[in-house]
Amino acid sequence: MNAVPSVRAKPDAFDPLRYRADFPLLARRVHDKPLIYFDNANTAQKPQAVIDAVDRYYSQFNANVSRAVHTLGEEATSAYEATRDKLARFINAASRDEIVLTSGTTQAINAVAYSFAMPRLKAGDEILITTMEHHANIVPWQLACERTGARLKVAPITPAGELIADRFIEMLTPSVKLAAIVHVSNVLGTVNPVRDLAKACRARGIPLLVDGSQAAPHIPIDVQALGCDFYALTGHKLFGPTGTGMLWARRELLESMPPFFGGGEMIKTVSFDKTTFADPPHKFEAGTPNIAGFIGLGAALDYVEAIGRDRIAAYERDLLVYATTTLKSVPGLRLFGEAPHKAAVLSFLIEGIHAHDLATLLDHEGIAVRSGHHCAHPLMQFFGVPATARASLAFYNTRDEVDRFVAAIGRVRKLLG
Amino acid sequence: MPSSNLYTQAVVDHYRAPRNFGALRAHTHAADGANPLCGDTLRMELRCEHGRVAEMRFSGEACAIAKATASMLSELAIDRSDDELAGLERVFIALVAGNIAGHDQLGGLNAMRELANHPVRQKCALLPFATLRAALAGRHCATTEETG
Repeated sequence: MNAVPSVRAKPDAFDPLRYRADFPLLARRVHDKPLIYFDNANTAQKPQAVIDAVDRYYSQFNANVSRAVHTLGEEATSAYEATRDKLARFINAASRDEIVLTSGTTQAINAVAYSFAMPRLKAGDEILITTMEHHANIVPWQLACERTGARLKVAPITPAGELIADRFIEMLTPSVKLAAIVHVSNVLGTVNPVRDLAKACRARGIPLLVDGSQAAPHIPIDVQALGCDFYALTGHKLFGPTGTGMLWARRELLESMPPFFGGGEMIKTVSFDKTTFADPPHKFEAGTPNIAGFIGLGAALDYVEAIGRDRIAAYERDLLVYATTTLKSVPGLRLFGEAPHKAAVLSFLIEGIHAHDLATLLDHEGIAVRSGHHCAHPLMQFFGVPATARASLAFYNTRDEVDRFVAAIGRVRKLLG
Repeated sequence: MPSSNLYTQAVVDHYRAPRNFGALRAHTHAADGANPLCGDTLRMELRCEHGRVAEMRFSGEACAIAKATASMLSELAIDRSDDELAGLERVFIALVAGNIAGHDQLGGLNAMRELANHPVRQKCALLPFATLRAALAGRHCATTEETG
């Protein structure tokens, strides 16, 4: 081989190997092979900074929040509440009081379904969603519809996995009292044009909820610029601990909503005759929260911000193009989701090979991908398949891993195809 | 592919060329089985004579583990009674759960012992047995959510 002059990386060049070192789990082996973790849309791995933050809380200042006046209580409360500030900055909320801490996206959407939608909906009203929603953005609305006599309406997508935005807007009829849409599809990777849709909703006075679970780890989020009314996200896909998440809503909306859960922490005064509730966001946060988890999430947000979300998005865009091209070279491969604007998620099937067999055989090679319906049955029905395999990438994944993944698929084809 | 203890040559062979695949028009028993966790479906049609399985066919969309199990089972079931098949299912469940290392009666199905290391995939192999049990009991549907 000819000697190649060494090219010095530009100082701002994105080096995934540098960040990989921050994630202890990525060094492990599975079935005696180096782990290739391509299941980030399911849950992301955690950097040492997050693990340390949780550990520090339990080993140095474990106490309950917002009630203990002793030193440990003050320290725990300020670390926990700092995450609320960080989340507010992360999504550019107008105020920290608009951030309700939840156990994840599912709880956030359910809070809106129970506290916002149900009291307002009447028989004949409609809720508009899309074909590409996760069950978490379908089932809570179905429950709300069942109890109120309202109806769920579903905006269509193209075979390439893009929302037909014009149809979505046409379907915003006067009977629609709420719209809910995923920002980035967990199955297709499609990034929806939330800003345009929010503008159309606003013009018609229809509140819009955005499920940001998959968007948060991949693209910068600015809820004020998006112009939506509710935004939900989850911490564990964002390199933070499980059991953490957030509901953002405009203050006036939160004020208009009754509490979802009752208990400690969410009250001003309690007597057996009458209880007065705390102001938002605390009125939605009954009981002792996942304190360690939120302190860990704060560390995850710091970590992501230190790298820079624009840089992460740019690197992942490049990796997605590479992975798409490489994967498409596999004979008999069908890719689901080819929207021009998409995040680094690749759902696919290979002719003659069931997604579960593919995932098990890839696991034998140390490669973690998801197989199944990805909590999106209606989307699977749209494509006419029971399941797909899905490789979802993060900024710590590399082109070399993509190459090894595609080579392993070739070996699975040899065995089963 | 590195040698796989689960996807043995016999398993792959039964997946690629399933035995008794298709419909059995003159069936006396039939059931549709579904694994709601992955969307797989299997239909089993049987002809029983004098309390024993005389013929069995299966069809449907399923993974290699479910299909190979159904194919092997369609051979093992012949000439067996309800009770004998219930006994075979009990042995198979014990194998998949890792409670026994193998059993003479299971033949090629012994490869499924590897599923003890793949808990999420165990239901794939249990679906054919659950569907067969439902057919023999005169039920028309079975799901993996009621097995075990």
